[in-house]
Amino acid sequence: MKKLVFLALVLSLFIVDTSDARKKKKKYEVIDVTNGGSITGTIKAASKVDDPVMKIETKKPDEVEFCGTEFQSNMYIISPDLGVKNVVVALLKVKQGKAMPEKDYVINNLKCQFEPLVGLAFKGNNFVIKNSDALFHNTNLGIQLKGGKKRAVYNLALPNLNQVLKKKIKTKGVHSIKCDAHPWMRAYVYSSDSPYAALTDDSGKFEITDIPAGTYKVLIWHEGFGEVKQEITVEAGQATTLDHTFSK
Amino acid sequence: MRVFKILALFMAIALLLISSPDFISAQDEDAEYDDAAYEALLEKGKEYYNARCEACHGADGDGKGFVDIIRVSEKNGRVLEIYPRDFTVGVYKFRSTATGCLPDDKDLMGTVKRGITKSLMPPQDNISSEETEAVVEYVKSFSERYEEEDPCDQISVADPPVWVASEKSIEKGKKIYKDMKCWECHGDLGKGDGPKSNDITDDWGKRLLPFNFVTGELKRGSTAENVYMTFTAGLDGTGMPSYQDTLNEEDRWHLVSYTLKLMGLTESDKKTASH
Repeated sequence: MKKLVFLALVLSLFIVDTSDARKKKKKYEVIDVTNGGSITGTIKAASKVDDPVMKIETKKPDEVEFCGTEFQSNMYIISPDLGVKNVVVALLKVKQGKAMPEKDYVINNLKCQFEPLVGLAFKGNNFVIKNSDALFHNTNLGIQLKGGKKRAVYNLALPNLNQVLKKKIKTKGVHSIKCDAHPWMRAYVYSSDSPYAALTDDSGKFEITDIPAGTYKVLIWHEGFGEVKQEITVEAGQATTLDHTFSK
Repeated sequence: MRVFKILALFMAIALLLISSPDFISAQDEDAEYDDAAYEALLEKGKEYYNARCEACHGADGDGKGFVDIIRVSEKNGRVLEIYPRDFTVGVYKFRSTATGCLPDDKDLMGTVKRGITKSLMPPQDNISSEETEAVVEYVKSFSERYEEEDPCDQISVADPPVWVASEKSIEKGKKIYKDMKCWECHGDLGKGDGPKSNDITDDWGKRLLPFNFVTGELKRGSTAENVYMTFTAGLDGTGMPSYQDTLNEEDRWHLVSYTLKLMGLTESDKKTASH
């Protein structure tokens, strides 16, 4: 009789397993990473690039005053020794490694701009979308596809001050964000399906740590310079250097 | 005795799981993706597509058929520039699913059958349901998105409350139209001429004009349910956002009332029109 009970137990577990298996097949697996390697480096520009000033054009009188008439785009934030800020460096198709960060990603509509301009989000957390202006904003977020195309992920209405919406981060890759009511507003968020992604700092430096040894494909992306992909081999306990110089 | 109870419990759980919709749909889906049958369906869909759809939507489904841009004039002189849908991206306006979701197959089949008013997308009156399924399956095959994602659940829509289009509800809807800033794009009187109306582009970078309610014809069909679904799901790929998280259901129905009023489709409008 005990054998029968055991059989029924095994059988029922098996059924639960098969019905879920389809949905979970590609999921990132968390393992203990001991003696992992790291990637550090600097992303530079071949030469200084002028940061464009962008124009604000609106027909609503209250917005002319509140939003201003132009703004520094901050597309090219380049240090004196040519380090480039806001470059995404991310390992692609990582199957296993350390735990995913548990951190929501805040997209703030503030003074007719998105804040932050560029950032990193991690799948499974939430986008927290906030309107800090007493103006209608909509947050229209989409994945950037090949050939300059875009695929909508969320287009949400935030008509009033202090409205906050929370939405699951369910897609990966470079996403662009626009507000259809204010065409000059723009932002980018890289959504990663592994914890191995970084953003360069003011001097163009980045660091990705606790990587299981192996060969990876890495994406280097910047709003203005575009993107490159290359392979990199990480050795256990070692720091691998990855530098890149963008030219326009 | 206790052992029997445990055994019975497990058997019951096992039976429940076997008969659960999830388990059945998993089996069905395997059946659906029987390669030979799927290929045959695609072949049939391709035949129909090439005969009836390719001229506008292109052989590769990228919306670049030889017909190119279609211009439609409204009575007030406003000219809409309409581009045939690019199926490669896998983004659709007329969905019964949340923003950012793939449409339900029924949505696509509905669009094929009904056509899209004011866009020169003709209704397919004589299409069989098998042909509809085939052409929808073929259209889906243009986008990689279908390999990466499953469609979301359909948003359930109850029958419109009895008070929809009543005077009181129209009044409430009018306030919501103002507070939700619908007028910024669609204009105070719903003519599609709000202060933002000339600044909007779609996800392909093409200029879009907001819906002019006064035309009385909503592209997806002018029923109360369709108006409700437009606010709720949003029109992905365009500037029209989803209000599913912004407005509660009741307020969305009040907004439907006001929209129907602007479109001249309430009972009292119809009576006036017939006199």
